[in-house]
Amino acid sequence: MKDGFRQAMAWLHTWAGLIFGWLLFAIFLTGTLSYFKEEISHWAQPEVRRHALDPVASLGLAQRYLEANAAHSGNWMIRLPSEREAALSVGWRDPSGGRRGFVSKQLDAQTGQPVEARDSRGGEFFYRFHFQLQMPHPWGRWLATFCAFIMLLGLVTGIITHKKIFKEFFTFRPGKGQRSWLDGHNAIGVLVLPFHLMISYSSLVIFMYMVMPASIMASYGGNTNGYFNDLFGRDDVPKAANVAAPMVPLAGLYAKVQAQVPGARMGYIQVHNPGDRNARVSFAQASADNIAYKRSANWMFDGSTGELLSQGAPESAAMMTSFSFVGLHMGNFAGPWLRWLYFVFGVAGTAVIGTGLVMWLGKRQLKHAKRERMPAELRLVEVLNIASMSGLLLAVAGFFWANRLLPAALQGRADWEVNTFFVVWLLSLAHAVLRPGRRAWGEQLGLGALAFALLPLLNALTTGQGLNHSVAVGDWAMAGLDLTALGTGLFLAWAAGKMLRAPKAAAKRELKVSKASAEVVEVNGC
Amino acid sequence: MKRNAAGLPLSYRLAVTSRCLAAVLGGYLLASMASVCITLLVPLAQVDAAMTGMMLSFVFYLLAFIWCFACRSARHAWLGVLLPSLLLGLVNGLAYWMKNP
Amino acid sequence: MLSVALIGFAGFAALCLAMEKHFSDLLGRKPAIGQLRSLRMAGWSLLLASLLLSVHLRGWAHGLVEWVAVLMAGVTLWVFTLPYQPRLLLGLAAISLILGPLLVISGG
Repeated sequence: MKDGFRQAMAWLHTWAGLIFGWLLFAIFLTGTLSYFKEEISHWAQPEVRRHALDPVASLGLAQRYLEANAAHSGNWMIRLPSEREAALSVGWRDPSGGRRGFVSKQLDAQTGQPVEARDSRGGEFFYRFHFQLQMPHPWGRWLATFCAFIMLLGLVTGIITHKKIFKEFFTFRPGKGQRSWLDGHNAIGVLVLPFHLMISYSSLVIFMYMVMPASIMASYGGNTNGYFNDLFGRDDVPKAANVAAPMVPLAGLYAKVQAQVPGARMGYIQVHNPGDRNARVSFAQASADNIAYKRSANWMFDGSTGELLSQGAPESAAMMTSFSFVGLHMGNFAGPWLRWLYFVFGVAGTAVIGTGLVMWLGKRQLKHAKRERMPAELRLVEVLNIASMSGLLLAVAGFFWANRLLPAALQGRADWEVNTFFVVWLLSLAHAVLRPGRRAWGEQLGLGALAFALLPLLNALTTGQGLNHSVAVGDWAMAGLDLTALGTGLFLAWAAGKMLRAPKAAAKRELKVSKASAEVVEVNGC
Repeated sequence: MKRNAAGLPLSYRLAVTSRCLAAVLGGYLLASMASVCITLLVPLAQVDAAMTGMMLSFVFYLLAFIWCFACRSARHAWLGVLLPSLLLGLVNGLAYWMKNP
Repeated sequence: MLSVALIGFAGFAALCLAMEKHFSDLLGRKPAIGQLRSLRMAGWSLLLASLLLSVHLRGWAHGLVEWVAVLMAGVTLWVFTLPYQPRLLLGLAAISLILGPLLVISGG
């Protein structure tokens, strides 16, 4: 392990990459899907109708609904429809109802009535999974954040290890076995490096208050709330005066905000103590409008008089820096073409990890190619590789299939979609254990190809909003998912084909090529 | 790399484990101490100082990790993270005491 | 933004050709004296130009982010297509070199 700095870093890169690679692949894949979480949710709940955006009208509908149904609650929340979110979302605090004492409803933006949509987490499932890993709070976040650190470590050790990073900047040589895998791994690593570094580092910044609290403790003592108050500049909302006072129309307050920042989109509106003399209404600008979160883009009104009480304080340089990192990670500011690039780069990051895992095993398999059976440790890696990559893809497909096939009236339907995801994943693990390596890959990739390629057909048959419909009416979110599924299916079919080809011929080619090429893979395993 | 018939020697595995612990735990300590040091010394508002310390801490964690696997031995790994942590800890203690007499 | 992407793409193409191995592989001859250096200078100049253009069009924040994004996309497309369709890429690079600035001028 000690033959030089570079060798040591190569060792660290390979082992950290292996141990955390399976989890990181899942984080990256689900994180990549999350860039289109609203579109996935739209696909998953096709009953939610899209209407022309009218913030003023929507606010009126929301206010009317909340006054009728949540007058007793001390806290309301409104999210206006946007280009990407069709529904008007309202919520209120209610200790007796809903999840964690909060009730959420999706209203139709035109009628103001609750939408009768199938219960589904939609894109939110992938989003939450990628940083919570379906683990109890806060363990998932800790693990995911540590994984992000390992990703950063992997990138840095990879850069140190890659001797010819400039010389081979434009190099990709397909058709040469392990050499091609390494070229590909290096290429998508280096060419998309700014994105990979940004994504990994920003993940750390997002949860830094949780994973690196020493600074907060040292400067704020036991008063961690002080840190957040200083950061977000929260004005304390007064308690209810228990004196009834009618609320001003929210639309009027919206107009006042627009007068200050014409064209600004609103992210969410909060109402405290509605119907009370001490009512407060806060408007927060949509995250789509700026890269970094701006606490100054928050306006607080007196809910009974309509007077503008305060606007968020200006941000410091440190705040702009950290919020920029967060904003870059989330990509909420991205328009359509940039969002697609985020998706592509996310796939690239996933592929960096995936190719690494494949190479780790492939290189060592060559050493044992002549043997009847590979050593147990390598077999373990092989099984985990298959389950964590093709298995995960099958699980994703399973989630979408469950969404279309589970009856709408099923109790706990949303949970059952999630259960399907995990059951399929588990089954893929069992399959990988029972089948020989290449066959397992081929069979899972083949099944995945079918599952994804047939998804648009399933959609059309079960909802009538298939490609023929969605393209015709210009519902590009719906069509986009169907088309992406189709593309994924085609890619998986190609991959399955490669796997199901005669393994002996492939292995022979590998041995020949690796002997012939003078540059043996320089990453030195142990 | 010396291998005996049964695989890698126990001493090697222990050394690797030791380096891992030094990196994960010792590195975290070092990063936290560096974080606090920056926070207490940088001439910014309290909230900004805290953010700056936290944001820069990960660089130290990264460096600690690299050190723990690049250095000569597991002992060097531990020394390399614990000694700076001690030093920074002393500086932090002093800075904290000066801020809160 | 397309103009930024095109000029950046041409820049990377030039930087690629500025490497002797790629020059001889793609153009089928040995580079003359100073050609590699000129290509290198041209490549960096084009990249710089695309950056300035992006910031000019979209401001520092969005401009920088979008510049990095389109450049990453362009160079990835170049590298992974190169082994399969080198002549197509050379043609695209040439078109980008002309179309990029043209879009800037016509866009006003």
